[in-house]
Amino acid sequence: MSLLRQLRKLVLGETWALPLGVALALGAAGIVRAVDGDDGWWHHGGGFILLGLVALALTGSLAGALRARRRHIE
Amino acid sequence: MAFVLTFIGAMLACGLEMLEALAIVLAVGITRRFRDSLIGAAGALLALAALAVVLGPVLISRVPLAPLRVLIGAFLLLFGLEWLRKGVLRLAHLRSPSDSFKEFVEEQEELEGMPLPPAGRPDWAGRTIAFKGVLLEGVEVILIVTALGARPGGLAPALIGGGVALIAVVGIGVVLHAPLSRLPETHLKYLVGIVLSTFGVFFAAEGLGVSWPLSDAALLYLAAAFFLISQLQIRLLIREQAAAVAT
Repeated sequence: MSLLRQLRKLVLGETWALPLGVALALGAAGIVRAVDGDDGWWHHGGGFILLGLVALALTGSLAGALRARRRHIE
Repeated sequence: MAFVLTFIGAMLACGLEMLEALAIVLAVGITRRFRDSLIGAAGALLALAALAVVLGPVLISRVPLAPLRVLIGAFLLLFGLEWLRKGVLRLAHLRSPSDSFKEFVEEQEELEGMPLPPAGRPDWAGRTIAFKGVLLEGVEVILIVTALGARPGGLAPALIGGGVALIAVVGIGVVLHAPLSRLPETHLKYLVGIVLSTFGVFFAAEGLGVSWPLSDAALLYLAAAFFLISQLQIRLLIREQAAAVAT
């Protein structure tokens, strides 16, 4: 059980915020692509949208760490 | 461009993971017996070789190219962003620096409390600890090399990078018999986080039908973007922390 928990931590990381953020970013990107079709603006500019969504996911996971630190200081 | 970045990414990621595995194997070997430690590590290497032989061909032959790119991108993003998150927190002084030497010392202290079986009898506790340590660190190595190598033309630099890392880490183990305590691990892991996240966005977007402006050179501006975003986050976290302490 401990080995499985450690494997989960290795693949998904220490927090749930990051895997959830990545899943949401990829899901949102997939939806936009499906709506826009194969030859629309997504084909050339979609990568930057995905980069922005991924950056948001990273920021969200860091915000959690900062909140925990603030609680610790208080 | 893609060749060089894949090589660097695979070499650094594998090297750092192997260094952590080496710390465990050395701690078991020095505290207990090197023979049992090496037997445990060899068992884990066999299990990892079997995983690598199965995983790569199954992924490449069974999964269509576009979903495969999204899957690989997702894995690289999970690994890369986690390394980047920890790197940002460490550089903003919100987390202790990465240190394989410290892990080695802690592992050694933990093992010293466990009784050792008489000479000639197998030390299953030592073997199990070495096996588990190498297996867990190795699974990440296999996943990263498989993900980086699954792209057309990506297998050679990923395998060469992994091979160079293996030789370097085994060399460190054999020559020094102790993990390097002077490696700037925090900065190296931060760099690996940038490289893996870059490949993650690149692959996932390609799988979702994106054609990157400037083709493979997009890896450069994506890496630069991740560097700038993470540096901005480090500065913001330092400022926020200073404000929280002041109030």
